[in-house]
Amino acid sequence: MNTTIMLFLLQDGITNGAIYALLGLALVLVFAVTRVILIPQGEFVTYGALTYASLASGQMPGTAKLALAMGTVAFAFDLFVARKALHGRLIVRSVLANIVLPAIVLAVTLYFAGQKPPVAVCIALSLLIVAMIGLFLYRIAFQPLAHTSVLVLLIASVGVHLALQGLGLLFFGAEGQRGPAVLSGAFTAGSLRFTGQSITVYGITIAFIVGLWLFFGLTLYGKALRATAVNRLGARLAGIRTTLSGQIAFLLASVIGALSGIMIVPITTLYYDSGFLIGLKGFVAAIIGGLVSYPLTAVAALFVGIVEAFSSFYASNYKEVIVFMLLIPVLLLRSLAAPAVEEEKD
Amino acid sequence: MSALLSVTDAHVAYGKVEAVRSVALEVGENQIVTIVGANGAGKTTLLSAIMGILPLKGRVAFAGQDLARLDIEDRVAMGLGLVPEHRELFVTMNVEDNLELGAFRIERSKAKASMEQVYALFPRLKERRKQLAGTLSGGEQQMLAMGRALMGAPKLLMLDEPSLGLAPIIVADIFRIITELRASGVSVLLVEQNAQAALKIADQAYVMELGEFVLSGKASDIAANEAVAASYLGFQHEGASVL
Repeated sequence: MNTTIMLFLLQDGITNGAIYALLGLALVLVFAVTRVILIPQGEFVTYGALTYASLASGQMPGTAKLALAMGTVAFAFDLFVARKALHGRLIVRSVLANIVLPAIVLAVTLYFAGQKPPVAVCIALSLLIVAMIGLFLYRIAFQPLAHTSVLVLLIASVGVHLALQGLGLLFFGAEGQRGPAVLSGAFTAGSLRFTGQSITVYGITIAFIVGLWLFFGLTLYGKALRATAVNRLGARLAGIRTTLSGQIAFLLASVIGALSGIMIVPITTLYYDSGFLIGLKGFVAAIIGGLVSYPLTAVAALFVGIVEAFSSFYASNYKEVIVFMLLIPVLLLRSLAAPAVEEEKD
Repeated sequence: MSALLSVTDAHVAYGKVEAVRSVALEVGENQIVTIVGANGAGKTTLLSAIMGILPLKGRVAFAGQDLARLDIEDRVAMGLGLVPEHRELFVTMNVEDNLELGAFRIERSKAKASMEQVYALFPRLKERRKQLAGTLSGGEQQMLAMGRALMGAPKLLMLDEPSLGLAPIIVADIFRIITELRASGVSVLLVEQNAQAALKIADQAYVMELGEFVLSGKASDIAANEAVAASYLGFQHEGASVL
């Protein structure tokens, strides 16, 4: 192999690895805060990507309607929980967040759907739609189960993944889609060619990681999220609602997922079920990071991306096998290093 | 004096096992009330249930409001604070962040002032404000746990075994601070195995045995009670009167 090919593969690996890093970080975040292993993370990716691609090609994405439908269910949940002590303010707030907001977004989406809006509008709408789906998903599927065991949450997570994937097929069909590049153009440095899209991927990944770092390090809500992850009871005793932390975690995860999708869909054709495999690679990185370490997860994600790029060159048929086999030595080492862990009871 | 906290006919059970049975308790404003009793008497269970961590059958009212439907977080916002036995600190975060989060439900401008007050009460915390909570000594962790609870501006602070595992000199410090809290208008409900020290600073006291209150009254009377002295204080009073 010559250096040029190697550099190409490295570049390819880092571009994919950057995406896996974002997804891995989101998985770690959601798990640390809510104990949910977020299998539907991949659906956030496909929903973001395909909503974006549909809008850009002048179609109406079904996800906008899904958001309104889920919002309505979330509102019903809110009403049911508060049935014994209904406050006017509570209801108004719930209506605004769960029904009025998605209705407005749906109206805006309908308005833009036929007329191939500019890329920025497509991105904004896609992010907004998927962010709402993420929030409502937490309200409907995970908040009512928040006190249960990791296993129950995992089963719910699998169920949600299957449901969202099925809905994805319904909304976007079995055909794959590609979206327009966020940033067009390209330049070459030596033998390497950098497209505007790959620069966008690096830029957004770095910006997001720095942003998250600032959010967790400096803001009260970021610290509250960390506190919930470190000690759930301690956080509650400080007056931090577990549901609030869960909402923020799911909001971040869905936005990160959608953004990743929007960044990938100009590079590769995505299908309604492509997200699962992409999410799983972020999951491999998260597992290498022990589901707790953010820096380790980011480094592991780059490693996963590079291994994937090289194995697709040498043995493209086995590329997934090789990537997922990375897990075995890691889990083995971890199980040797760590003492038996009992599930946290609270 | 109207009671700040009033608990009537409280039962707390773990499954079918009742750990607390028909307990009634009152804490007035500006009062230190202590619950003493042996290990396993149900003291911690009772505090957890008052805070909303465990389900409680019976009635708990705080500042005139029934707490039955309120979550832990709402009780915190109302001014009920708990420093649990295991402290439940954010061990991977520094002292200042722990304190800041204690004021999560408080206005930002007021939180700044509260932090100065907490630092005045516990100068040691100010020295260590950039240190991770998990690296503090046991006494410092207890101070931080109390400081974090105080950041929420509680009207009533419930302390679960604040002296557990601490050196005597630090215990004395913590008991001194508890009396200072009363002077500054915070009521305290204190659960202690160190009954002697607790009864010395408390106004009212309850003696708990196997999930029930067996004795209650003025702390000084309880301290003078021979039966209590024999079982919990580890010594006999000279000329003590039996209640």
